[in-house]
Parts: sequence; C-alpha cells; structure tokens
Amino acid sequence: MFNLPTGNIGGQELFVLEFGDIVAYFSPYTTALFVFALIFTALAIVSRPEKQMDIAFGGDAYYAKEVDPNLMRFQRFMAIACGLATLGAMVTGDVFNFTLFASMVGITNIGIVAAYRNRHVLNAAFQYGIVAMLATVPLFGGAAIILASTGTLSMWELFTAAVTVPLIAKAFLVLGVMGEGMAPFYVAKAEITRAQGAPFILMVHVSSLLLFLRVTEIVISM
Amino acid sequence: MEIAYPVGLIVVAAAIIIGFAAIVREKDDLHRILLTDLAEILALVLIALVATDLAEALILPGLVVGISELMAVSEVYIAKEGLRAPPAEPAFRIEVMESAPGILALILVAYGIVLSGFTGGAIAAVGAVFYFMCRGHVEQFELIETVSGYAWAIWIGAFFIFMLLPAYWFFAVMMAGGAILIKVMAKMSLVGTMRRGGPDV
Repeated sequence: MFNLPTGNIGGQELFVLEFGDIVAYFSPYTTALFVFALIFTALAIVSRPEKQMDIAFGGDAYYAKEVDPNLMRFQRFMAIACGLATLGAMVTGDVFNFTLFASMVGITNIGIVAAYRNRHVLNAAFQYGIVAMLATVPLFGGAAIILASTGTLSMWELFTAAVTVPLIAKAFLVLGVMGEGMAPFYVAKAEITRAQGAPFILMVHVSSLLLFLRVTEIVISM
Repeated sequence: MEIAYPVGLIVVAAAIIIGFAAIVREKDDLHRILLTDLAEILALVLIALVATDLAEALILPGLVVGISELMAVSEVYIAKEGLRAPPAEPAFRIEVMESAPGILALILVAYGIVLSGFTGGAIAAVGAVFYFMCRGHVEQFELIETVSGYAWAIWIGAFFIFMLLPAYWFFAVMMAGGAILIKVMAKMSLVGTMRRGGPDV
C-alpha cells in the first residue's frame, strides 16, 4: 500500500511505521539522519558536563567556573528532549507533525541555552526565543497553506507527481524551520557557545543540521 | 467559500506585515514578548483559515506550542532581568483562622471522601485550600504533588484492570473513583493556593 514515489531523493522506503493515518517511514536518507540523531542523544545521556577554565589574559592566572548541578541537570534534560524531538522530525511522514517536532526543537534549544546565569547568554537566549516564536507564523502558515491547497498533509500523497504544492508554502516551511530550529545561524553564536556545557550545547548544532537536511528533502520531494 | 480563503490570506498577510513591523520598531523587551504573542495568534489564524475539521485538530497543538514558547521566553526574561516576587504578607488575620482550620478541613475532607468522585474531590479540595490558606503552605506543595502523582498512577492502573481483567470491574471502579477524588482535590488545592501569591509561587 505504501510506496514512496521513485523520484524521491530519500530513496525507497525500508520500513513503515503506522500510527493510524500518521505513517512514519525509514528511507536510506532518513535512517541515516535518525541514526546520527540517536548517537548524539545517547551522548547527551551518558556524557558528563565539562568544567570550564578561564585563563586571565597576559598572565599565569586561571580560574575554574562554577557549575550549578541543578542547571546542568535541566540542561541535560533539555538536550535529551531535543534529541527525541529531532528523532521524531527525522522519520515522521506527516508535514504537520514535522512542524510540531521542529517547534519542539526550538523550545528545547531555548532551554539548553537559557540554563546559565550569565547575562550575555541570557540576552542571546531571549533574542533566540523571540525569533523562534516569530518563526511559528511561517512554519504553521506553511503547513496550513499546504493543507488548504492540496487537502492533505501526508507526505505519501504530497510526494506524488499528481499533487502540486504552492511555492509560497514551501518557502514558508523553510523559513519557519530556519527560524525555529537553526539557532546558530542568526543569534549571537559566540555568546551562546562560549557558555559552559560542551556536550549539551552540541545538541543545538546537531538538531539544526539534521532539521535542515530533512526539510530540504521534504521541500525537494514535494 | 471560494473567495473567502484568498481574501482571508490577504488580510492575514497585511496583519503579519503590521505585526512584524511593530516588533522591528519596538525596543522594550517586555513589549516585544507581548507582540510576539500577537504574532503567534496570526499563525493560528492562518491554520483556522483552512476551515475544515483537520484545521480544528491542528489549532490545539499550535496553541500549545505557542503557549509553551511564550512561557519559556518569559522565564528567560525573568532570569535575565533578575526579577523576584516581593515576599507577600498574609491578606488578613482573623482569630477563627488560627483555631478552626484543622477541624473544618477534616470535616470537609471526610465529607468529600463520602461523596467520592469529582464532587467529592471538589469538596475535599475546599477543605485543603481552607487549611493551607490559614496555616500557610510552604512544604505541603511537594506532598500534594507526590500524592497527585500516585493518584494518577492508580487511575491508569484501574484502566488497565478494565482492559485486561474486566471481571474485576468493581475493584477498578473503586480504584478509579478514589484516585479521581485525590486527583481533583490535589488540582483544586494547587489552584486555590496559587492565587495567594506566596513566596513559593
């Protein structure tokens, strides 16, 4: 019953997981992304937070930054949640679910970067949060326009040649994912990544990379 | 219907331009949070324009995402500005509130247990709220949350009995009834005490 159209860049599907009419699928492409996200989620689960050292410029002095265990715990939780949302976004076969997973990645990214009590980092996280909230307009708007113009949100239908998705909807979808999931692109990256917490901050980059690859596949296939 | 969708889209596009222009011009961070919330409403309007049953099903997740992002950004704002709620004084001091709460709360909770279910939960919650209102509620919150969690687990367990061992339905009804009593009571007392604006809220 389920056959991905052959022109699809993801390749033939390997395995199909049905939840009612929401059908997740694994093609070689999405499986590769899924495994990548899985590895980094596992890393976020098992890794220990680093303790950052600051060296005073022009001298021998250095000092270790204090790490609040509670904030670290929160950050680890957010990193794991971000990994799970990315896993979902990689394999979902439904455009609206993809947008929901993308916005969940956005929320958890805010959580990851906001788990510091450094004023500069919090400022950057705030700006990122504003952009992520604004990005829900094109993100959900794109999904809604796809639904209105084609009558379906299932990628199985949208990927066929019979269904044409308007260009504006594709553009909205890409714009929304850029705002929602891709923190490193436009916020004060240095401010965010300078903060301590190496294994968890990595999740922000991994999720943005994977979301970008996945939305590219979706937009090209539609 | 054919004309309504394009017209609606044009109106929303104009609203989006106005809203985003306002956000660009606004410099105050708090006002920007409020304006982005307005922008999120526009996303919901875009979904609602689809005007089918599916749109109805999509609005709720959209709303949840919007609210959770708003809460996250507001938390960041509070942490960023270092805002703290001032310590609250009790609203009023009445002699009966010193002596009575134990007895009255006990009566209400006992009556609630007799009633059981939603009504009983509400009655018992009134007792709990009255008690916390008079005696303060610093560490009781953790207790309520724990009890509420166990009640939820019992409630789910009752459903499993319904599905797997239907012969024991009466036991499951009792479990679910008791658990919903505790759950409603916990919820209502949390709502009631939150209004007081104590230092731990």
